[in-house]
Amino acid sequence: MRFEDVDFGQDLPELAPDVGPEAVRRFAETAGMLHPRFFDAEAARREGLPGAIVPGIMSQGILAALIHRWAPEARIQVLDTTFRAPLLVGSKPRCRGVVTDLDSDSRSVEIDLTLMNEAGETRVVGTAKVTLP
Amino acid sequence: MPVDVAELKRSWTGFEFDRVEFPVTAEELAAFARAVGESAPWFVDPGHPEFRAVPNFTTKYHGRRMWPPDFPRLSKHSVGFDAGKRVEVHAPIRAGDVLTARSQIHDIYEKTGRSGSMVFIVHRMEFSNQRGELAAVVDWRFLQQPDPD
Amino acid sequence: MILDLHNHSIRSDDGKARVENYCQWIRRRGLALDGFVLSEHRQFDGESDYRPLEDEFGLLILKASEVETDYGHVLVFGVNEDLLAALDFARVDLPLADVLRETERCGALAVPCHPGRPNVGLFAHYAARGPLPGVTLVETLNGGSRGGENELAGREAERYGYRGVGGSDAHIVSHIGRCATRFEAPIRSAEGLVAALRAGRYEAIACPSTSPS
Repeated sequence: MRFEDVDFGQDLPELAPDVGPEAVRRFAETAGMLHPRFFDAEAARREGLPGAIVPGIMSQGILAALIHRWAPEARIQVLDTTFRAPLLVGSKPRCRGVVTDLDSDSRSVEIDLTLMNEAGETRVVGTAKVTLP
Repeated sequence: MPVDVAELKRSWTGFEFDRVEFPVTAEELAAFARAVGESAPWFVDPGHPEFRAVPNFTTKYHGRRMWPPDFPRLSKHSVGFDAGKRVEVHAPIRAGDVLTARSQIHDIYEKTGRSGSMVFIVHRMEFSNQRGELAAVVDWRFLQQPDPD
Repeated sequence: MILDLHNHSIRSDDGKARVENYCQWIRRRGLALDGFVLSEHRQFDGESDYRPLEDEFGLLILKASEVETDYGHVLVFGVNEDLLAALDFARVDLPLADVLRETERCGALAVPCHPGRPNVGLFAHYAARGPLPGVTLVETLNGGSRGGENELAGREAERYGYRGVGGSDAHIVSHIGRCATRFEAPIRSAEGLVAALRAGRYEAIACPSTSPS
């Protein structure tokens, strides 16, 4: 995917990432995030959460992977995500992206990013600035 | 007593309060990349000539302390919530790099939301490599809900 | 005439959209919007001049504010110098009674937004403290609301006899146009918007379909 191949408003192919218990545990261990809220539903509920939750930066990394699947040669310059509400471990989220700006001088595009749960509720929203060859 | 956010901001933003070094290994770069679903060889194969960290790799790091010494705790009941992270990528991070992370409080502001009154504290970590090049800047928006009293 | 009455640009602390990109999005996606309002958080943007964008894209772009009160968040349309002198828009605890009084006095209009939302919605405070005189319309359709919040807003608005408007509450480009307000008569200015809102001939609509007017 080169800059010339991208149109304003272009949708990135949707991604359905794995945020099951094993996947979240794998991430949490590699990121050093060993708090029980990411593994133990009861512990999470004692904190006022609805259940074990996916780490915010795992969702952020997944949204970066969405971009890289669409454009493997893309270089993400800025990735900015807001964690709107907890994403539960074991849920079935969908990730979407859409191109909302193109700058031919810098060969960069901006992308709106959304991660929703299976009920269509936004859990993570953000933007990325990406350069393309 | 209500929190004087303007005073908090004046007193606590803009100075370094922590500095830590993180050596970066190929194993952790590849493991982090696979754990977020990346598959490109430059992210998951340490033998690839362009092998490097995924863009948000530095978001996993924490310093030796979260806040400056004596930074006021706004709530007795809650440590707060992670409201989001912003990462700027300035240079590739490669296996064998030693990152120096400098922490500061970048901003403090208040607003009200679904959860009530909120104070946002933006914690900034700037990562430089062993050549002194800026590699990444991570802004962490941390939400605290002050106790009403 | 269809206007999206509630959106944020990069001027708002949590806004990520540039206004030009909002315009491009509306036109490229063929959204049925004739314009939109920028309602920045806790401030009025008196500096930005969007007339060139209006000319380029054939859209009406108006400026307003979203302030924070003791009864939740409120959109303020028709902001002027008198009102800016009377109220501190940066506060997170403006008394709504003051906002209603001063907007009326200064020829502006206060419209509680996302009134069905916990803590920052009007009706959560009504449930605890009872209604406040002076409210005549609320935002019954908000594009950022979660399950049940718009429905609650609609029910309670009907209960109190408030008219309803719609707005997307967009903070990123692709979220503009999720909700809007359809007016019977054309609007050409912020003052005209205030007059139209007072006149009451409009309805809140969700997801305006494609094909521009």
